[in-house]
Amino acid sequence: MLKIKDLRVSYGKLKVLKGVNLEIKEGECLGVIGESGTGKTTLALSIMRLVDEDSSASLEGEIFFQEKNLMEMDEEMIRKIRWNSISIVFQNKEDALNPVHTILDQVKEPIMENGGESKKEATEKAIHLLSQVGLASRCIKAYPHQLSEGEKQRSLLAMALANDPEVLILDEPVSSLDTTSKADMITKIKRLSRGYSVLVVTHDISTVAKLTDRVAVLYGGRIVELASTPLLLSNPRHPYTRGLLRSYPNMTTTKDLQGMKGRMQPVEKGCPFYPRCTQVVDVCKRKNPELQKIGERFLACHRGGILPFLKVKNLTKYFDSFRAVDSVCLTLYEGETLGLVGESGAGKTTLAKSIMGLFHSEGEIYLEGEKVGERDKKFYKTVQMIFQNPRESLSHRLNVLEAVREPLDIYKIGSFRQRSQKVEQTLTEVELPSDEEFLDRYPHHLSGGEIQRVVIARALVLDPKLLIADEPTSFLDASIQAKIVRLLLNLQEKRGLGLLFITHDIALARKVSDRLVVMLKGKIVEEGPTPQILSSPSHPYTRNLLRVAPTLT
Amino acid sequence: MHIKYWEELKKDTFGKIGLVLFLFFIVIVLIAPFITRDPQVQTALVFEAPSLEHLLGTNDVGQDIWSRLVWGARTSLLVAIGVGMLSTFLGALIGASAALIGGWYEEIAMRIIDAFLVIPTVILLILVAAFIRPSIWLLIVLISFLRWQGGARIIRSQTLSLKESVHISAAKSFGASRFYILFRHIIPDLAPILVVSFIYSARMAVFMEAGLAFIGITDPSVVSWGKMMHHALNFYYLDIWKWWLLPAGMALSALILVFAFLGYSLEKIMDPRLRKSNA
Repeated sequence: MLKIKDLRVSYGKLKVLKGVNLEIKEGECLGVIGESGTGKTTLALSIMRLVDEDSSASLEGEIFFQEKNLMEMDEEMIRKIRWNSISIVFQNKEDALNPVHTILDQVKEPIMENGGESKKEATEKAIHLLSQVGLASRCIKAYPHQLSEGEKQRSLLAMALANDPEVLILDEPVSSLDTTSKADMITKIKRLSRGYSVLVVTHDISTVAKLTDRVAVLYGGRIVELASTPLLLSNPRHPYTRGLLRSYPNMTTTKDLQGMKGRMQPVEKGCPFYPRCTQVVDVCKRKNPELQKIGERFLACHRGGILPFLKVKNLTKYFDSFRAVDSVCLTLYEGETLGLVGESGAGKTTLAKSIMGLFHSEGEIYLEGEKVGERDKKFYKTVQMIFQNPRESLSHRLNVLEAVREPLDIYKIGSFRQRSQKVEQTLTEVELPSDEEFLDRYPHHLSGGEIQRVVIARALVLDPKLLIADEPTSFLDASIQAKIVRLLLNLQEKRGLGLLFITHDIALARKVSDRLVVMLKGKIVEEGPTPQILSSPSHPYTRNLLRVAPTLT
Repeated sequence: MHIKYWEELKKDTFGKIGLVLFLFFIVIVLIAPFITRDPQVQTALVFEAPSLEHLLGTNDVGQDIWSRLVWGARTSLLVAIGVGMLSTFLGALIGASAALIGGWYEEIAMRIIDAFLVIPTVILLILVAAFIRPSIWLLIVLISFLRWQGGARIIRSQTLSLKESVHISAAKSFGASRFYILFRHIIPDLAPILVVSFIYSARMAVFMEAGLAFIGITDPSVVSWGKMMHHALNFYYLDIWKWWLLPAGMALSALILVFAFLGYSLEKIMDPRLRKSNA
């Protein structure tokens, strides 16, 4: 129905869209999501050929509507298509409504102008439309300033639908509405837009989830991921999509309000997302990745989306004849938290120590796609572990400086001064003081929370990409636990730190994990995205875990 | 738990007494050539009573007893330190390596330790010494080789628990090599145990050396408190025991006490439960 090919739009020197390819099929609802400033509205206005009104704007590329290139049409032809075949609900309601005309007049006008209907027919049609979008009859003859936000939004929708267009563009259709009006509006849109080809442009992920069939993720003027809505939302593959979903508070996921590092900034060369990405390699800075078909989705990423960072295959560990860990397979993606839940004795710690090479075990381990044999310094530089009892994991002979510096000493990184600086920097990162007095303290002078932070600092001083945290908060009280967990999640956001979060507390795992693995008697009995496991656990043991999980009632 | 051994030792009464006396012995022994005459020189002046010339008088062959007392301290301390170091080294070598290497090696090492534990070492030592009349250096080696097993057992068990301790696992998880772990973690962590083992061996060695000398089966040319007492007892009917037998016996007791005090004090420091108050 509508095909956009290599659309490039810039305002003066500012490049807003840098080659967007999109296709809206007939009767389909396509969503475009992204942060503010990614060029969503520009995309919507370009299709309407409304960008041209800005004199500094320049458009390149092709937009085919029913096989005709909109870009080659003159203003006269465009005007025939605009509002008749392609209509839009503007984001900015104040500008879109004329303050000196009543709502009815404003909806009636395009019907009369383009459809050639009589005044009476047009009035009837307009009233019918307005009641269909759920506008109360008292509002029909009101002026825009007499209406609430929601009512204005409904009026605009009615205006857009007035001439029965083929393509309907909705720019942030519900963003400014309260939740109940939003829900009502979404059902109305869904009902009224049936049969139309719809483009929904929004930052509101829930709207996209409810309205669209497919979603495109727009970042820095480029589409970075495109897939069917359920697939994209349940299993995002582009780091940006994941970051966007993680930031969004909702009732489905439990680990929300976690975003991405940095802010959007224009990129001259390379992948638009690379300054904020945590798995950047050289090529990301040099070349822009093309949108490629990978499986059932389109993805623009040099690294093929979020990397499977650590892969464990059939890991088995015997203690004499007792099988403590029994053919465990798991995958941990870059920058995600994998919660490993199970009762004590389930083999969680044994699994962690086996991965770390502290126990000899059978099975295969892959790190960034490469098979790991004997754990060497390269492995330990990428994968670090926080042990279950942090106090014991510090030598009583070493003060804070010496303890945190130890990994640097082992790797002989930098000069003595540089090492000390790195230690101070890392301590600051874990929110600990880094003055002389603190650096000189011994473990028995530190509180439980401080000890845990020192241990975290020590594990982070080598800048690992994966942290195995074995019950990192089990012996802390709730308020310190909250701080430590938030610290870990902040570090994850900042460094793209992958976390294997081992805990017996499913309530805690629920708040920190992207995915959950439930372990029982050395075996993995359940695995999946956290919300899915929480809402529909399949194994009886998981159900029991959820039943006995802490509640306040 | 981090302990500042030196600070704690200075705070403890026994530790203080032990340290002061130990330093006293060391100083005496070091300045011996300046405050004594040749202890072996025999003169015609026999059985002299104490005077300014001879602080503790002379013995049956006219040797200066004061000089022999001071030079005897040299022998005792040399044996003490020598045996302390050698037997602790042997114990650490065998005990720690058994714990670290494990397997068959550990089995064999432990059986050897067991065998040495059931050997009546004192009797064996007397027998061997009686045969070969050991010189002072040979004596050090002999005592050390017969008395390392107790230390080895303690060091092995300590090393075993250290090996499993989390901070060693943590060091491994930073990619530390075996050598790094041995020299930066295990040996420093064993240090207090090694010091105690050294002190116990030293105390035992002082006692052993004096005992063997007393029954007259060590190198006769070596000046020793044991030998002094042995000779002095032959003249118990003379007044001379007051400045011949008594000073030697007291010096011996004092040196053994030094090591006992230091050992006791260190033990208390390392096990805080033995302290009276944790102020």
